[in-house]
Amino acid sequence: MTVTSATSVSAAIRRSGGRGMALGAGLVVLALLPLAAGASPYLLGLLISALILSGLALSWALLGNLGGMVSFGHAAFFGVGSYASALLAAKLGVPVLLAIPLGGVIATLSSLAMLPALRLSGPYFALAILAYAQIFRILATELDWLTGGAAGLQRYPGLPTLFGINLADRAGSYVLVLACVALFALVYVVLRKSHIGTALRAISDSEDATRVVGVNATLLKSWMLFLSAFIAGVFGALNAHIIGFLEPDYAFSGIWSVMPIIAAVFGGYRSVLGPIFGAVVIYLFDQVIAKSLIPVGHQILLGILLAVMVLLAPNGLSGLVARIFSKTAEKHHAGA
Amino acid sequence: MVRKTSAIASATLALALMAGVTGATAQDASKTEPKTFTIGAHMPLTGSLARSGQAFNEGMQVAVKLCNAAAPKYQVKIDLIDDESTPAKAVSAVEKLASDGSVAIIGGYGSNIIGPASDASDKLGKVYITAGAVSDELTKRGLKTFFRINNNAGYQRGIATLIGDLKPEKVSIIASTKEAPALLAEGLEKDLAAKGIKVTVHKFDPAITDFKPIINKIKLQDKPDIIMMSAYENDYVGIIRAAKVLKPNVKLLVGTWSLATPKMYTEFPDLMNNVVGTSFLPFPVEVKSAEGKTFADTYKQMYNKDIEYLSTLSFVETMVLCDALFRAADNGTLEKGGLADEMRKTDRDSLLGRIQFDATGDNPNFSLSMGQHRNGKIILVSPKSAANGEIVYPGVPW
Repeated sequence: MTVTSATSVSAAIRRSGGRGMALGAGLVVLALLPLAAGASPYLLGLLISALILSGLALSWALLGNLGGMVSFGHAAFFGVGSYASALLAAKLGVPVLLAIPLGGVIATLSSLAMLPALRLSGPYFALAILAYAQIFRILATELDWLTGGAAGLQRYPGLPTLFGINLADRAGSYVLVLACVALFALVYVVLRKSHIGTALRAISDSEDATRVVGVNATLLKSWMLFLSAFIAGVFGALNAHIIGFLEPDYAFSGIWSVMPIIAAVFGGYRSVLGPIFGAVVIYLFDQVIAKSLIPVGHQILLGILLAVMVLLAPNGLSGLVARIFSKTAEKHHAGA
Repeated sequence: MVRKTSAIASATLALALMAGVTGATAQDASKTEPKTFTIGAHMPLTGSLARSGQAFNEGMQVAVKLCNAAAPKYQVKIDLIDDESTPAKAVSAVEKLASDGSVAIIGGYGSNIIGPASDASDKLGKVYITAGAVSDELTKRGLKTFFRINNNAGYQRGIATLIGDLKPEKVSIIASTKEAPALLAEGLEKDLAAKGIKVTVHKFDPAITDFKPIINKIKLQDKPDIIMMSAYENDYVGIIRAAKVLKPNVKLLVGTWSLATPKMYTEFPDLMNNVVGTSFLPFPVEVKSAEGKTFADTYKQMYNKDIEYLSTLSFVETMVLCDALFRAADNGTLEKGGLADEMRKTDRDSLLGRIQFDATGDNPNFSLSMGQHRNGKIILVSPKSAANGEIVYPGVPW
């Protein structure tokens, strides 16, 4: 590479980095608009649920996109994170804001049991992790001395007040969950742009070829599994302290495995923002628009929307937006 | 100038007269038109619990119709949202109902839903009443706006009374690991053991459908006099079907909620005969109280069927709420949080017996009768004070 081309590449990276920063800042401002506009607790509640799903979808997409692994068992990490955080706060008196990342750490530790399954790929890995989620649900039911069994946990601390902001009220919870989504999205962006991200993308294209050039594919995939489990665990913990109730059927519900997949695919799981926006769009569409049109059985509209999206834009919402932008840019260039 | 002044004066007078007339009309209207209150409700109207949500809704609608007919000063309407059996959606439903002006909330089905939803309702200062959650944890939270008419203790008392009166030596309990059945099984194990009965509990995962291994174990190992099922409708069918195949040497099959119902006999006539479950009323329905008769007649008129278990529960909770609501409105305390106080003053008879609320919002009087399926009829067999027939014992469906 010549000095001139290297300089132009670094300038391009700076430009794209600057654009990314501006985009990120713009999105955070957009996300804070509901607070500035004095949104009702109802709307904020919906947004919180959508953002919890966003975080989970981000964690699923990270594993799929960078780790090349399709998971049907993210409910396991979500559930472990939620139980771990609630139990740490309730039984050991750990402050909730510390218990939440610790919930993520314990979810990460629980993912160690999945390491043997990393040798599997495609549907075999997906099935293994699906079974794994069921094992944790049964454990949470059977270990009633610890988890409260089928009756679940109801009396554990909620989110605290921090610097005068009551995180337990809707506005406070919204800001906290939004900050977590933004933080993990940033981690995802940085990771993707790093050498590790490049190696991981190469692994997902051809694992054998990448091994030949000396990349430790198993180690990198393990790291992605741990990171994905950590993120899912943190959002599970946040959800547990916001909802204030845990039971095995809810914490390890199949919804936490299926919905992030739907959200990520809808939004475009190859991008960072795709899973986040996918989750927000499908959740709000379902709960606000579809539910007001068909109060009972509104899920049919969501099904139709998903089918249309998959047919018209296989790369999801982010792919569709990119396509529209590139067409507009082409027209603009042609006009010039 | 004079003309201008008089024109202004005339216009002012006309406006004043118009305002007076309008005001008078509005006053007259307020004298004649009843004040309308909205009660919010969230129920599972889709998914696996949709049938339960629908039954709850039917009972609520009948109660509202009767309340409106009885109170000329007030009208009540229900604003119902499908909570999809999801805690977050139930919380959102409560917040939406409150922001849309509901004066109180009627809760859905399952402690996992009721817990967070009633928490949200308490934060919004709205009275929350439920007939769909029996967990003891719910009443330990110290919420000032939470009320419920039924509880685990009532189901436990009804079943333990029946089994205690039959004096079996051994009882095997087959219990779902879901929250309510697991709690009931745990309580019954203690109650029956305290009566000197040997109890063995067999827990099962709600996902299983083949109960033959459990029944076989009970048949060969436990050899009980009574099999008690702490479970739900689909589980009862699976358990009784397995028992009918393996024919353990037992004298009675007992279950809990949603078992001693006409619907179960209509759908599974070959499995239900002699099986016993919790019940309020015999079938054909024999209602003694005036309110019960009106409920049964109106229900039949609206839905062309006899009253059922869950609709009866929701009818009672809605009637209790309406009564308290009208009392608070009469006293002028509704806007000042007086509804919770009026709920606490509740002391009335109902199809479930006497309804009162203790300091935790629970109904300490809740207790159920036990009904036995007998060739399409349901005979109340326990407690003796409510019985309208003798129990067939030994009596099994095969």
